[in-house]
Amino acid sequence: MNKKQFLEKMSSYLRGIPAEDEKDIISDFKEHFEIGIQEGRTEEELAESLGDPKSLANQLRASLMVEQAEKNTSAANIVRAVFASLGLGFFNLIFVLGPFLVIAGVMVALFAAALGVTSAGITGFFGSFFGPLFPQYFSILVNPAVSIFISIGVICLGVLFFIGDIFLAKWLYRLFVMYIKFNARIITGRGQVK
Amino acid sequence: MYGTVCYYMLHEIAGKITEGCDIMNIQFKKGVLELCALALLAKKNRYGYELVNEISRSISISEGTIYPLLRRLKNDGYVTTYLQESKEGAPRKYYQLTESGKEMERQLKEEWLNFVKQVNSFLKGGAKDE
Repeated sequence: MNKKQFLEKMSSYLRGIPAEDEKDIISDFKEHFEIGIQEGRTEEELAESLGDPKSLANQLRASLMVEQAEKNTSAANIVRAVFASLGLGFFNLIFVLGPFLVIAGVMVALFAAALGVTSAGITGFFGSFFGPLFPQYFSILVNPAVSIFISIGVICLGVLFFIGDIFLAKWLYRLFVMYIKFNARIITGRGQVK
Repeated sequence: MYGTVCYYMLHEIAGKITEGCDIMNIQFKKGVLELCALALLAKKNRYGYELVNEISRSISISEGTIYPLLRRLKNDGYVTTYLQESKEGAPRKYYQLTESGKEMERQLKEEWLNFVKQVNSFLKGGAKDE
């Protein structure tokens, strides 16, 4: 592999990261080649001792994505970070994707539950008004005045549940980012360090 | 088909577990790598190639691994970079320790020296409870 092939491989494996970062990374390696050549080494020799461009690109990509997920909290960013971490090795199917799916599943279920409680409250609230008007469709066993207040209570409970979910989601997000950062640190360099 | 996939995965996992013995060694070298880079920069500002060259002279690693490390050190605020003209032509990117980088270097160095001292005392058979 010569300089051109190495750099082309590198940038093809880096595809998808911000253009500025890619330029920066490529220019670092370009500089490495240029100085190496001035010192009398060949392009092939330099490429050989730098190591596998794919593995280097995967390391760089994973740390970039995790860093981004850390800076801007968003579902898209965390998904990108998880996928970049998968590039670091087969093992991460179990150690990153597994926990991610579990956490995401639990959060979806908790949000659905909050939505369920809130909508039950809303239904009860309107039911209390319309129930007595359409006795052929509704049968409410308690006094409508009571069920109105119970429904308001249930709505509040649902909203609180929802707010609680948001806090929990944020906390789990931060925790998970810390975890994949730790994971990336453990795993990068496998097969890289001789 | 399913069976083949399962077999392949088990095979892969078994391979990774035996490989696990190497992981510690690799982790060890990587931690050392960070310390070496910081220690070299504590003496003077250097450019990437120079760092790679100095380190790979005594530790056998894929030289490219140092660049992701340098990027991480920069992101964590331990080093900053600047460009400087060189006699040979194109400007080179120099790395410089920040205050927190210097602090980190001191801390890691101290931990390392303590660690080595303890290991050495075992190697010399100086354990007292024998």
